[in-house]
Amino acid sequence: MNSAETSRAPFDPAVLFKAAFLGIVAIFVLVPLLATLLGGFKSLGELRVNPFGLPSHWEWQNYADILFSGRYWQLLRNSLIISTLTVTLTLIVASMAAFTFAHVRFFGSSMLLSYLTLGLLFPAATAVLPLFIKVRDLGLLDTYFGVALPQVAFSLAMSVLLLRRFFKDIPYELLEAALVDGCSYIKFFRYVTLPLSRPILATVGTITFVNSWNAYLLPLVMLNTDALYPWPLGIMVYQGEYSSEWHLILAFITLTILPTIILFLLAQKHIVAGLTAGAVKG
Amino acid sequence: MRLLGKLGLAVAACLLGANVAAADTVVKWLHIEVNPAQVKVWEEVARSYEASHPGVKVEMQFLENEAYKAKLPTILQSKDRPNIIYSWAGGVLKTQIEAGVLEDITDSVKSGGYGDTIAPAALAAFSQNGHVFGLPISLSQVGFLYNKDLMAKGNVDPSKIKTWDDLLGAVKTLKAAGVTPIVVGGADKWPLHFYWTHLAVRIGGKPAFDAALKGENGGFAGETFQKSGELFKQLVDLQPFQNGFLGFKNPQAVGYFGDGKAAMILAISSFYHTQRALAADKVGLSDDKLGWFDFPVVPGGKGEPSDTLGGITGWLVTKDSPKEAVDFLKYFISKDVQARLAAGNFVIPVVKGGEAGLNTAFMKQIAANLAKSNYHQNFYDQSLGPSVGRVVNDVSAEIAGGSMSPQDAAKAIEAAYKQGN
Amino acid sequence: MARRIAIAAPVNVAGEAVPRALRGPGWDGRFTVLILFLPPALLLFTLFVVLPIGEAAWYSGFNWNGFGRPTHWIGFDNYRFVLETRAFWLALRNNGLIIAVSLAVQLPLALTLALMLAEKFRGAVALRMLFFMPYILAEIATGLIFSFIYDGDYGLVASIWRFFGAEPPYLLASTDTAMLAVLIVIVWKYFGFHMMLFIAALQSLDKSLVEAARIDGATRSQILRHVVIPLLYPTIRLSVFFAIVGSLQLFDLVMPLTRGGPADSSNTMVSFLYNNGISRMRVGYGSAIGVILFAICVTFAFTYKRWFMRDE
Repeated sequence: MNSAETSRAPFDPAVLFKAAFLGIVAIFVLVPLLATLLGGFKSLGELRVNPFGLPSHWEWQNYADILFSGRYWQLLRNSLIISTLTVTLTLIVASMAAFTFAHVRFFGSSMLLSYLTLGLLFPAATAVLPLFIKVRDLGLLDTYFGVALPQVAFSLAMSVLLLRRFFKDIPYELLEAALVDGCSYIKFFRYVTLPLSRPILATVGTITFVNSWNAYLLPLVMLNTDALYPWPLGIMVYQGEYSSEWHLILAFITLTILPTIILFLLAQKHIVAGLTAGAVKG
Repeated sequence: MRLLGKLGLAVAACLLGANVAAADTVVKWLHIEVNPAQVKVWEEVARSYEASHPGVKVEMQFLENEAYKAKLPTILQSKDRPNIIYSWAGGVLKTQIEAGVLEDITDSVKSGGYGDTIAPAALAAFSQNGHVFGLPISLSQVGFLYNKDLMAKGNVDPSKIKTWDDLLGAVKTLKAAGVTPIVVGGADKWPLHFYWTHLAVRIGGKPAFDAALKGENGGFAGETFQKSGELFKQLVDLQPFQNGFLGFKNPQAVGYFGDGKAAMILAISSFYHTQRALAADKVGLSDDKLGWFDFPVVPGGKGEPSDTLGGITGWLVTKDSPKEAVDFLKYFISKDVQARLAAGNFVIPVVKGGEAGLNTAFMKQIAANLAKSNYHQNFYDQSLGPSVGRVVNDVSAEIAGGSMSPQDAAKAIEAAYKQGN
Repeated sequence: MARRIAIAAPVNVAGEAVPRALRGPGWDGRFTVLILFLPPALLLFTLFVVLPIGEAAWYSGFNWNGFGRPTHWIGFDNYRFVLETRAFWLALRNNGLIIAVSLAVQLPLALTLALMLAEKFRGAVALRMLFFMPYILAEIATGLIFSFIYDGDYGLVASIWRFFGAEPPYLLASTDTAMLAVLIVIVWKYFGFHMMLFIAALQSLDKSLVEAARIDGATRSQILRHVVIPLLYPTIRLSVFFAIVGSLQLFDLVMPLTRGGPADSSNTMVSFLYNNGISRMRVGYGSAIGVILFAICVTFAFTYKRWFMRDE
C-alpha cells in the first residue's frame, strides 16, 4: 500500500501494482483448491507428472466410485446429525438464557452472565481428558450426544452474548405492554422475541453449524465406531487407508468440502456476519 | 455350549415373545488388517461360522494401525465396545488386564483340550497368572527384507551381511551406486524403534533387558541402551533412508519397497506379503526378487545370533462380550483356519499342525528361525506398556532425526520408565 | 488465526443498564422464567466446561491411565514431568512462532488487502469472498490439501523442484522445514478472516474524518498513516487477540499435515496434549498440560484486556 499521490490518470502505476498484488494473492488462494478439484479427475500416474494442469484424460470414475459408495453418504449423514443436534440445542438453550439475561432482572444476573462468558477464555482442548472421563461416566461415549452436548456447552458463551445483545434492542415498552395485557414472559419469548430475532438466530446458528461441521478433536476423542464418524474423522481414516493414492484422496476431499462451499455461497451474508460478529461491535 | 446358547435363546423367546428369537447375537470384531487378501479370508471364515451357527452375526470393523493404538484406551471404555480386538500382548495387554476391561476366557479355552493345541509360549503371552485373556494368531520376526535386483545393481552380496559393520558397509556401497539403501516409515516412529531395540537385543541379550526392568545397571539409561543408540546413530549418519523418511507412514514405506525403489527394509516378516498389497501396482515384488537376512550381530554383544525380535499377535475378548465371541475366536484360531492363513503367507501359525500350510521357502525359514530362537523379544513399544513404549518410539525417531543424542535418548526412556505410567 | 470465535475476556455487564424493575405479573412471572430458562444453559456449561477444568486440576495430581478411578497420588510430579519434556518447550516455541508470523506477516497482509478491497470496484466483492473462503474450510481438509501440495512425490513443491532439475524436498518430513510449512498453511487459511475484520471496520469508519483530512491537503499515505490506521487500532488489537487465542488452540490443522512431527518439531500445545496425554491415556500428565494451557490462556486474556483493550 505504498500507493503514490492521488492521481486519476488512466495508467496509474498504483492501480497496476494493486492489480498485480491482488492477482498474486488470488493465485495463492486458488491454486491449492483447484489442484485438489482437478487432482480428483486424474489417474495416479498423471498426478505425478502433471499435478496442477488440466487432466489430459478426465477420470470421472474416481468421483463416481465415492459418490456411489455408502461410506461418503454415511459420513455426511453423521456430520449432519451431530451438527443439527448441536445447532438446535444451542439455539434453544442459549436463546432462553439470553432472554432471561436481557429481560428479567434478578439478583446475581450480571454475575451469572460473567460466569458464562468464562467459556470464551479457553479452548475445549484444555480439559479434554476430564471431559472424556465425564462423558464416559455419563455413558455417552460413542454416541452423537457425547459429541453434541460438549459442543453446545462450549458454544453457549458466545451465543448467549450475541443473542442477549440483540434481544436487548427489542423495545422494553413492548414487553411491558404485553405483560400488562396478561401475556406471560414465556409467551412473549415465543411469540415476540424469537420471531423478531430471526437474523441473529440465523447468524448464531450458522457459526455453531460451521464450527460443529468442521470439528475434529471432540469427535476424535468421543467416538470409536466408524459407523458414527463425522466426515473430518472419516476422511482421516480414508487417507490412512489409501495412503499414497492421492487421486482418490483428493476426490474425497473435494466431495467432502463441497457442502461447506455450497453453504458458503448460499449463505455468505450470515456466515461472514456470524464469523466476524464477535469482533465488530454495534 | 452351542446347545446351551440355543436353549437360552429359546427360553428368552418364550418369555419375551417371538421377536427376540429373530434378533441375532452380534459379535463385533475390530481389526487393523490392511491386506485385502487376508481380510477376504477372514470374511469367508466369519461367513462360514455364521452359516453353521444360526443366530450369530459376526460384524467386522476396521481401524488404521496408528489410529487404533491411539484410540484403544477410549475404545475399551465405551459401552458399545467391540467384542474382539487386536493385540500385540506385552505390557499393553497387562494394563488392560489390570484395568479389568477384558474377559477372562480361561474356562472356555481350557475346555475340551482346545488350549493344548496352541503353542504354549504363544498362549502364555496372552495369559497372566494362569488366566487366559486372548488367543494368539501369529508370530513374526523382525529382519531385513531386500530387493535382489537392487542389491545386485549396487554390487552388494546380502549373504555376506553378518555384522553391523557389514550393514554399514553395504549402505555405503549402495549409496555410491545410486541406490536408496533402506526405506523406513519414520512418521509412525515404531519402524525406527526396531533399529534401536534390535541393536539392544544383540548387544545386551535377554539379561540386559531383564536387568533394566529391575532397574539394575542404570536401567534403560545403562550402557547397553546407550550403545544401541550410538550404533543406530552410526547408521543414521550415513543417511541410508529414502528422501523424506520422517514423513513416510509405514504403509507408504512398505509400498515404496514393493515398488522396487529401495534395496532394503527393516521389516516384520509379514511385510513379505503386505508389500504386494501396498505397492502401487498391487503386485509388488515377486518371490524370486525378494530375500531376507537376519538382523546383523554386534561383535562382542551378549545376545545370541539366534535371538529374535518380533511380535506375538492375537485377539482379545473384551469384558461382558457374549460367549459367542469366544466361541467364534476358537473357531477362528483353529488348525484348519491357521493352515489356510499360512498357505496364504499371512501368518506363522501358532496352532499345532497349522505350519503344514506353509508353502513358501520364505515363510518356512521364518518359522524355523522362530522355532530355534531361545529369546524372542516382543516389540518394546508393546512389551513396555503404552506410555513407556511410546517414548522408545519417540526417542528412536529423535535419534533418526538428529535431534537427540543416544545418551539423552536412553535417559529419556529410563525417566519415562521411572514415571511408571 | 481464530477458530472458535470469542470476544475478549468476560464482558463486564455490571455497568450496563438493566431494565427497570417490573410491575405487572412481577416476581411470579419472573420466577417461572428463571427456573425454566436459565438452568439448562448453566447446567450444560457447568457440567462440560467448568467442572472438567476443575477436574483437570485434580487429576493432574495422579498417575492414572484412565481405567477405573485415580488412586496413585503423586502431587506435582506431573507438572515436573511436563516441564522436563523437550516436546513441551518445542510446542511452546511453535505457538510463539505462530503468533509472531500472525503479527509480522498475516496482519499486514490482511490490512493491506482490506484497504484495497474496502473500496468499491468491479470484482471487489468476489475477491473478498475468495480470500475469505479458506477460513470456512475445515482445518482437516485444509491440512490434507496441503499435505498433497507439499508431498515430495506428487505435490506442487515436487513439480517446481523437478522443473529446475533438483531432487524435491519433503518439507513436512524435515525437522528444519516442517514448522515453516505449517506456518504457510496458517497464513493461507486465516488471513481472509482478519481481512474481513478490517473491511468491516473500514466500512463503519467515520468518512468525514478522512474527508476533512483530504480537504486539509493531506496526501493519501498521510491520510492512511495518520487518520485511517489510528481509527483501526481497536480492530487491530482485536485481530491480534484472535491470532493469539487461535494459536493457543491450533490442533486440527497440524494433525493431517505432520501430527506434530517429525520429532515433535511442529507440535502445538494442543497437539502435544493430544499426542502425549490423550493418545497414551496418561490422564494425569495430560491434565497437567491442560492446566498449564488453561493458565496461559487465562493469564493472557486478562492481561491483554487490561493493557490493550481498556478503552473498550
